[in-house]
Amino acid sequence: MQFIDEFRDNRLAQGLLAEIRRTVTRPWVLMEICGGQTHAIMQYGLDQLLPPEIELVHGPGCPVCVTSLELIDKALAIASQPEVIFTSFGDMLRVPGSQGDLFSVRARGGQVKVVYSPLDAVRIAQQNPDKQIVFFAIGFETTAPPNVASVLQAQALGLKNYSILVSHVRVPPAMHAILGSPHNRVPGSRACMRGDGILGISTHCRSISCAHDGYRV
Amino acid sequence: MCLGVPGQIKEIIVGSGLRMAKVDFGGVIREVCIETLPEARVGDYTIVHAGFALNLLSEEEAKETLDLLDQLAQYEDPVTDDFSESTPA
Repeated sequence: MQFIDEFRDNRLAQGLLAEIRRTVTRPWVLMEICGGQTHAIMQYGLDQLLPPEIELVHGPGCPVCVTSLELIDKALAIASQPEVIFTSFGDMLRVPGSQGDLFSVRARGGQVKVVYSPLDAVRIAQQNPDKQIVFFAIGFETTAPPNVASVLQAQALGLKNYSILVSHVRVPPAMHAILGSPHNRVPGSRACMRGDGILGISTHCRSISCAHDGYRV
Repeated sequence: MCLGVPGQIKEIIVGSGLRMAKVDFGGVIREVCIETLPEARVGDYTIVHAGFALNLLSEEEAKETLDLLDQLAQYEDPVTDDFSESTPA
Protein backbone atom coordinates (compact mmCIF):
# COMPACT_ATOMS: atom_id res chain seq x y z
CA MET A 1 0.00 0.00 0.00
CA GLN A 2 1.32 3.47 -0.96
CA PHE A 3 -1.50 5.45 0.73
CA ILE A 4 -1.92 7.54 -2.44
CA ASP A 5 -3.24 5.53 -5.40
CA GLU A 6 -5.68 3.63 -3.21
CA PHE A 7 -7.45 6.89 -2.33
CA ARG A 8 -7.59 8.09 -5.95
CA ASP A 9 -9.94 5.36 -7.09
CA ASN A 10 -12.67 6.89 -9.27
CA ARG A 11 -15.07 4.04 -8.49
CA LEU A 12 -14.75 4.58 -4.73
CA ALA A 13 -15.15 8.36 -5.14
CA GLN A 14 -18.31 7.87 -7.23
CA GLY A 15 -19.68 5.53 -4.57
CA LEU A 16 -19.07 8.09 -1.85
CA LEU A 17 -20.64 10.85 -3.96
CA ALA A 18 -23.68 8.66 -4.62
CA GLU A 19 -24.07 8.07 -0.89
CA ILE A 20 -23.80 11.81 -0.19
CA ARG A 21 -26.45 12.55 -2.85
CA ARG A 22 -28.69 9.85 -1.40
CA THR A 23 -28.26 11.03 2.19
CA VAL A 24 -28.46 14.81 1.92
CA THR A 25 -31.90 16.09 2.95
CA ARG A 26 -31.28 19.80 3.61
CA PRO A 27 -28.82 22.55 2.68
CA TRP A 28 -25.44 22.34 4.38
CA VAL A 29 -22.68 24.92 4.57
CA LEU A 30 -19.38 23.20 5.27
CA MET A 31 -16.06 24.91 5.75
CA GLU A 32 -12.66 23.43 5.11
CA ILE A 33 -10.04 24.85 7.44
CA CYS A 34 -6.83 24.06 5.64
CA GLY A 35 -5.65 25.87 2.50
CA GLY A 36 -4.37 22.52 1.21
CA GLN A 37 -7.91 21.19 1.34
CA THR A 38 -9.17 24.22 -0.62
CA HIS A 39 -6.48 23.52 -3.18
CA ALA A 40 -7.50 19.85 -3.53
CA ILE A 41 -11.20 20.74 -3.80
CA MET A 42 -10.50 23.18 -6.62
CA GLN A 43 -7.88 21.03 -8.36
CA TYR A 44 -10.17 18.01 -8.60
CA GLY A 45 -13.45 19.98 -9.00
CA LEU A 46 -14.97 18.38 -5.90
CA ASP A 47 -17.24 21.40 -5.37
CA GLN A 48 -18.86 20.68 -8.74
CA LEU A 49 -19.31 16.98 -8.01
CA LEU A 50 -21.22 17.52 -4.78
CA PRO A 51 -25.01 17.96 -4.82
CA PRO A 52 -26.25 21.59 -4.89
CA GLU A 53 -27.45 21.32 -1.29
CA ILE A 54 -23.84 21.27 -0.11
CA GLU A 55 -22.05 24.60 -0.18
CA LEU A 56 -18.34 24.67 0.57
CA VAL A 57 -16.83 27.81 2.06
CA HIS A 58 -13.14 28.38 2.51
CA GLY A 59 -11.73 28.72 6.01
CA PRO A 60 -8.90 30.65 7.61
CA GLY A 61 -6.19 28.00 7.23
CA CYS A 62 -4.02 29.47 4.50
CA PRO A 63 -0.80 30.75 6.07
CA VAL A 64 0.13 32.68 2.95
CA CYS A 65 -3.13 34.64 3.10
CA VAL A 66 -2.94 35.48 6.80
CA THR A 67 0.66 36.69 6.87
CA SER A 68 0.57 40.43 7.53
CA LEU A 69 1.77 43.10 5.13
CA GLU A 70 4.17 44.29 7.84
CA LEU A 71 5.89 40.88 7.91
CA ILE A 72 6.11 40.74 4.12
CA ASP A 73 7.75 44.18 4.14
CA LYS A 74 10.23 42.99 6.78
CA ALA A 75 11.00 39.95 4.63
CA LEU A 76 11.59 42.16 1.58
CA ALA A 77 13.91 44.46 3.55
CA ILE A 78 15.94 41.55 4.98
CA ALA A 79 16.11 39.73 1.63
CA SER A 80 17.50 42.88 0.01
CA GLN A 81 20.57 42.90 2.28
CA PRO A 82 23.68 41.84 0.33
CA GLU A 83 25.00 39.60 3.13
CA VAL A 84 21.70 37.68 3.39
CA ILE A 85 20.47 34.52 1.69
CA PHE A 86 16.72 34.64 2.28
CA THR A 87 14.97 31.26 2.28
CA SER A 88 11.26 30.61 2.08
CA PHE A 89 8.56 28.17 1.05
CA GLY A 90 7.83 28.81 -2.62
CA ASP A 91 4.29 30.09 -2.19
CA MET A 92 5.46 33.21 -0.30
CA LEU A 93 7.49 34.58 -3.20
CA ARG A 94 4.52 36.02 -5.08
CA VAL A 95 2.84 37.61 -2.08
CA PRO A 96 3.01 41.39 -2.56
CA GLY A 97 4.36 43.74 0.09
CA SER A 98 4.17 47.53 -0.01
CA GLN A 99 6.86 47.58 -2.68
CA GLY A 100 7.07 44.45 -4.79
CA ASP A 101 7.45 40.83 -3.73
CA LEU A 102 10.32 38.42 -3.05
CA PHE A 103 10.51 37.61 -6.77
CA SER A 104 11.19 41.28 -7.52
CA VAL A 105 13.90 41.31 -4.81
CA ARG A 106 15.50 38.35 -6.56
CA ALA A 107 15.21 40.11 -9.92
CA ARG A 108 17.16 43.05 -8.45
CA GLY A 109 19.98 40.71 -7.42
CA GLY A 110 18.86 39.67 -3.94
CA GLN A 111 19.54 36.07 -2.96
CA VAL A 112 16.15 34.45 -2.41
CA LYS A 113 16.02 30.67 -2.37
CA VAL A 114 12.98 28.40 -2.27
CA VAL A 115 13.25 25.50 0.17
CA TYR A 116 10.99 22.53 0.80
CA SER A 117 11.88 22.30 4.48
CA PRO A 118 13.46 24.65 7.05
CA LEU A 119 16.15 21.98 7.42
CA ASP A 120 17.15 22.74 3.82
CA ALA A 121 17.74 26.33 4.95
CA VAL A 122 19.99 25.03 7.76
CA ARG A 123 21.96 23.08 5.16
CA ILE A 124 22.38 26.28 3.10
CA ALA A 125 23.68 27.98 6.28
CA GLN A 126 26.26 25.18 6.68
CA GLN A 127 27.38 25.59 3.08
CA ASN A 128 27.60 29.41 3.25
CA PRO A 129 29.40 30.37 6.49
CA ASP A 130 30.13 33.88 5.16
CA LYS A 131 26.40 34.64 4.65
CA GLN A 132 23.49 35.21 7.00
CA ILE A 133 20.71 32.74 6.23
CA VAL A 134 17.19 33.82 7.18
CA PHE A 135 14.20 31.49 6.91
CA PHE A 136 10.70 32.96 6.56
CA ALA A 137 8.95 30.96 9.31
CA ILE A 138 5.28 31.35 8.49
CA GLY A 139 2.36 29.08 9.12
CA PHE A 140 0.16 27.51 11.76
CA GLU A 141 0.63 24.76 14.32
CA THR A 142 1.77 22.38 11.58
CA THR A 143 4.85 24.37 10.61
CA ALA A 144 5.80 25.77 14.04
CA PRO A 145 7.51 22.55 15.27
CA PRO A 146 9.62 22.09 12.10
CA ASN A 147 10.64 25.76 12.18
CA VAL A 148 11.68 25.56 15.83
CA ALA A 149 13.45 22.25 15.18
CA SER A 150 15.52 23.94 12.47
CA VAL A 151 16.77 26.43 15.07
CA LEU A 152 17.66 23.57 17.43
CA GLN A 153 19.45 21.81 14.57
CA ALA A 154 21.42 24.97 13.74
CA GLN A 155 22.35 25.26 17.42
CA ALA A 156 23.41 21.60 17.56
CA LEU A 157 25.62 22.18 14.50
CA GLY A 158 27.15 25.26 16.13
CA LEU A 159 25.94 27.60 13.38
CA LYS A 160 25.97 31.34 14.07
CA ASN A 161 24.58 32.45 10.72
CA TYR A 162 21.04 31.02 10.81
CA SER A 163 17.93 32.84 11.98
CA ILE A 164 14.21 32.81 11.30
CA LEU A 165 11.70 35.59 10.66
CA VAL A 166 8.75 34.39 12.70
CA SER A 167 5.13 34.89 11.70
CA HIS A 168 3.14 32.12 13.32
CA VAL A 169 -0.57 32.20 13.94
CA ARG A 170 -2.91 29.70 15.59
CA VAL A 171 -5.96 28.05 14.04
CA PRO A 172 -8.25 27.32 17.04
CA PRO A 173 -8.81 31.00 18.01
CA ALA A 174 -9.86 31.76 14.42
CA MET A 175 -12.22 28.77 14.42
CA HIS A 176 -13.68 29.82 17.78
CA ALA A 177 -14.30 33.33 16.41
CA ILE A 178 -16.04 31.98 13.31
CA LEU A 179 -18.11 29.32 15.02
CA GLY A 180 -18.98 31.57 17.95
CA SER A 181 -20.18 34.47 15.82
CA PRO A 182 -23.95 35.13 15.96
CA HIS A 183 -23.81 35.46 12.16
CA ASN A 184 -22.14 32.10 11.71
CA ARG A 185 -23.82 29.94 9.08
CA VAL A 186 -21.25 27.14 9.12
CA PRO A 187 -22.60 24.14 11.00
CA GLY A 188 -19.59 21.95 10.35
CA SER A 189 -15.99 22.07 9.24
CA ARG A 190 -13.60 19.58 7.73
CA ALA A 191 -10.87 18.49 10.09
CA CYS A 192 -7.27 18.74 8.96
CA MET A 193 -5.45 15.51 9.67
CA ARG A 194 -2.02 17.10 9.88
CA GLY A 195 -3.23 19.87 12.15
CA ASP A 196 -5.05 17.47 14.41
CA GLY A 197 -2.08 15.15 14.45
CA ILE A 198 0.06 17.90 15.91
CA LEU A 199 -2.51 19.65 18.08
CA GLY A 200 -4.25 16.55 19.31
CA ILE A 201 -7.76 15.86 18.10
CA SER A 202 -9.35 17.24 21.27
CA THR A 203 -8.49 20.84 20.36
CA HIS A 204 -10.38 20.59 17.11
CA CYS A 205 -13.34 18.93 18.80
CA ARG A 206 -13.47 21.75 21.32
CA SER A 207 -13.69 24.34 18.58
CA ILE A 208 -16.36 22.38 16.76
CA SER A 209 -18.40 22.03 19.93
CA CYS A 210 -18.66 25.84 19.96
CA ALA A 211 -20.74 25.62 16.79
CA HIS A 212 -23.94 27.60 16.74
CA ASP A 213 -26.74 26.06 18.79
CA GLY A 214 -28.94 23.83 16.75
CA TYR A 215 -26.15 22.98 14.36
CA ARG A 216 -23.92 21.18 16.80
CA VAL A 217 -21.74 18.66 15.02
CA MET B 1 3.83 24.23 1.72
CA CYS B 2 0.52 22.78 2.95
CA LEU B 3 1.14 19.32 1.68
CA GLY B 4 1.30 16.14 3.74
CA VAL B 5 2.80 13.36 1.66
CA PRO B 6 2.86 9.70 2.69
CA GLY B 7 6.09 7.77 2.35
CA GLN B 8 7.83 4.65 3.64
CA ILE B 9 10.84 4.75 5.96
CA LYS B 10 13.71 2.92 4.25
CA GLU B 11 16.65 3.72 6.51
CA ILE B 12 17.17 5.46 9.82
CA ILE B 13 20.24 7.69 9.80
CA VAL B 14 22.32 7.79 12.95
CA GLY B 15 24.22 11.04 13.30
CA SER B 16 24.48 14.27 15.23
CA GLY B 17 21.57 16.62 15.73
CA LEU B 18 18.01 15.64 14.84
CA ARG B 19 17.02 12.03 14.18
CA MET B 20 16.70 11.60 10.42
CA ALA B 21 15.54 8.89 8.02
CA LYS B 22 15.55 8.16 4.32
CA VAL B 23 11.94 8.02 3.16
CA ASP B 24 10.66 6.63 -0.14
CA PHE B 25 7.89 8.71 -1.79
CA GLY B 26 6.82 6.42 -4.62
CA GLY B 27 10.38 6.07 -5.88
CA VAL B 28 11.78 9.44 -4.79
CA ILE B 29 14.02 9.19 -1.73
CA ARG B 30 14.36 12.18 0.60
CA GLU B 31 15.90 12.74 3.98
CA VAL B 32 13.22 13.45 6.55
CA CYS B 33 13.35 14.38 10.23
CA ILE B 34 11.75 11.73 12.45
CA GLU B 35 12.57 13.42 15.75
CA THR B 36 8.88 13.52 16.70
CA LEU B 37 8.41 9.78 16.11
CA PRO B 38 10.70 7.87 18.46
CA GLU B 39 8.66 4.74 17.74
CA ALA B 40 9.33 4.90 13.96
CA ARG B 41 10.95 1.81 12.46
CA VAL B 42 12.21 0.88 9.00
CA GLY B 43 9.23 -0.20 6.89
CA ASP B 44 6.72 2.10 8.63
CA TYR B 45 4.61 4.52 6.58
CA THR B 46 4.50 8.13 7.70
CA ILE B 47 2.95 11.46 6.66
CA VAL B 48 5.65 14.02 5.92
CA HIS B 49 5.11 17.78 6.01
CA ALA B 50 7.89 20.27 5.23
CA GLY B 51 10.55 17.61 5.70
CA PHE B 52 9.22 16.40 9.05
CA ALA B 53 7.45 13.13 9.74
CA LEU B 54 4.23 13.94 11.61
CA ASN B 55 2.75 10.57 12.48
CA LEU B 56 2.75 6.93 11.48
CA LEU B 57 0.12 5.51 9.14
CA SER B 58 -1.65 2.29 9.91
CA GLU B 59 -2.16 0.00 6.92
CA GLU B 60 -5.01 -1.69 8.82
CA GLU B 61 -6.86 1.60 9.37
CA ALA B 62 -6.37 2.60 5.74
CA LYS B 63 -7.76 -0.75 4.59
CA GLU B 64 -10.73 -0.34 6.92
CA THR B 65 -11.53 3.06 5.38
CA LEU B 66 -11.09 1.72 1.84
CA ASP B 67 -13.36 -1.23 2.67
CA LEU B 68 -16.06 1.17 3.87
CA LEU B 69 -15.71 3.23 0.67
CA ASP B 70 -15.88 0.03 -1.32
CA GLN B 71 -19.15 -0.89 0.36
CA LEU B 72 -20.57 2.53 -0.56
CA ALA B 73 -19.47 2.02 -4.15
CA GLN B 74 -21.63 -1.12 -4.29
CA TYR B 75 -24.79 1.00 -3.94
CA GLU B 76 -26.63 1.81 -7.11
CA ASP B 77 -26.96 5.48 -7.87
CA PRO B 78 -29.23 6.48 -10.77
CA VAL B 79 -27.54 9.89 -11.20
CA THR B 80 -24.03 8.44 -11.43
CA ASP B 81 -25.15 5.59 -13.64
CA ASP B 82 -26.82 8.01 -16.05
CA PHE B 83 -23.57 9.94 -16.41
CA SER B 84 -21.21 7.02 -16.61
CA GLU B 85 -23.24 5.03 -19.11
CA SER B 86 -24.18 7.90 -21.42
CA THR B 87 -22.89 7.78 -24.97
CA PRO B 88 -22.13 10.99 -26.86
CA ALA B 89 -24.71 11.60 -29.56
